[in-house]
Amino acid sequence: MIGSVPPLRLMSPRERRRYWIGHWRLAVPALVTLALLLLMTAPVLLPMPVFPQLGLLGIFVWATFQPGLMPPWLAFLLGLVADMLFAQPLGVNATGFAVAALFVRSFEARYGHHAHRFDWAVATGVIAGSALLTWQLMALAGRPVPLLAMGWQVLTSALAYPPVVWLCGWVQRRAFGLRQ
Amino acid sequence: MRRDQNLALVSAVVSGAVIAFGLLLLLIGRVNPDAGQRMRGVLLDLVTPAWSVVRAPFDGVGRAIDWGGDYFGAVDRNRRLEGELAAAHAELQRAAADRLALVQLKRVARVRVPERTLIATVRIVSATSGSVVRTAMVSAGSSDGIKPGQPVIGAAGLIGRTLETGIGAARVLLLTDPASRVPVMVVRTGQSALAVGVNTPSLELQDRVGADVPLRVGDRLVTSGDGGVYPPGVPVGTIIRADGDPALVRPAATPVGAAFVNIEAAWLPLPAADTPATTLAPVPIEARRSGAKVPVAAPVIVPANP
Repeated sequence: MIGSVPPLRLMSPRERRRYWIGHWRLAVPALVTLALLLLMTAPVLLPMPVFPQLGLLGIFVWATFQPGLMPPWLAFLLGLVADMLFAQPLGVNATGFAVAALFVRSFEARYGHHAHRFDWAVATGVIAGSALLTWQLMALAGRPVPLLAMGWQVLTSALAYPPVVWLCGWVQRRAFGLRQ
Repeated sequence: MRRDQNLALVSAVVSGAVIAFGLLLLLIGRVNPDAGQRMRGVLLDLVTPAWSVVRAPFDGVGRAIDWGGDYFGAVDRNRRLEGELAAAHAELQRAAADRLALVQLKRVARVRVPERTLIATVRIVSATSGSVVRTAMVSAGSSDGIKPGQPVIGAAGLIGRTLETGIGAARVLLLTDPASRVPVMVVRTGQSALAVGVNTPSLELQDRVGADVPLRVGDRLVTSGDGGVYPPGVPVGTIIRADGDPALVRPAATPVGAAFVNIEAAWLPLPAADTPATTLAPVPIEARRSGAKVPVAAPVIVPANP
């Protein structure tokens, strides 16, 4: 793609702008995940953490759909935003998301693509593992939380996986076309 | 092929570095919990107005449902209220006598009672339920005089305390958060204790003074005023399980119904931040005997809700 366009210095400012704006697709996975994170701050007034971990699900789904566009460092940055949105110590979600992205990347590289139900099971495993990691990281940050109360969130997150996949699949078809 | 290998290596190194950086951030956060405060404030300012617009129609629907429920339950409630009113009248007369006695006693003893200062009355915009940290967002911030560490009180009782502030929005740490510890008093027995959040709908009652006196289901808890953040006498909750250890408390107010809350100034002014530097390290007896000038460890005042 880069080879087919003239060098940047030979472009007019307008062409240059169009060239850069033409890369908007690279930001799609990050923006969708960011939107999911913002959705998680929705006013669901329940006295327990039960809202599904949409941000983590977004990371997982995009790491399987577009591995190149959801590298661990991007997951890290999204996790920082999540930490600030949810008033958690900086680094809890950041580390958790980055580890999840890294896990998915190496898992996919080794075992290839799967059926939907298998991915669902893996996603549930990743969410449960992430809950355990969050529990440990919160303790490391000096603000320990009880573990059992997080079980509900793991459950709702597992149930929320199909809708998130549907949403990301829809965005994927619109933005990237039918591929793979 | 070679290029692929190099890329894989670079990406592995970058991933490792990123995760290490995350752990480093956690350690920094442990040493300095206020890091990143300003960034959080900015995000609060961005997110809160959006949700306050989005939730408006849902509030309308909720009010309509409430109104319908009020209409149909009015007779039953009226009868119940009449019964309660009779009991309350009797209680009120006793309380008036007590109040008179209290005024006289205070005059005799020259007690100075700090005033409660209302800073803002705001509405709870949103409470995150997607995170292990239980917080709510309110639509007023530092421009309204709100600072971290101020009590947030709803009509039915205590909601929590402010945690972070942006310019036009603030975050409230709810009673159910594991970091929340409220000094309370059992009204019936006068024992002081801590109401601790555990990320479930109910709170736990811990560190009760005089644990051999049994609690009863239905015992009411109010803030004791210890620690200086929460003013005394604000309802916190009711004991719903007394036999277990720890006892369980149902909060008096939940952010679900508390559309509007009062944010007050911290009840007792916190000690000034620029106290002289002191050390808590033990000073060897020899150094003290020699008459050298050693820094004296000042009494450490721990806030009520660390």
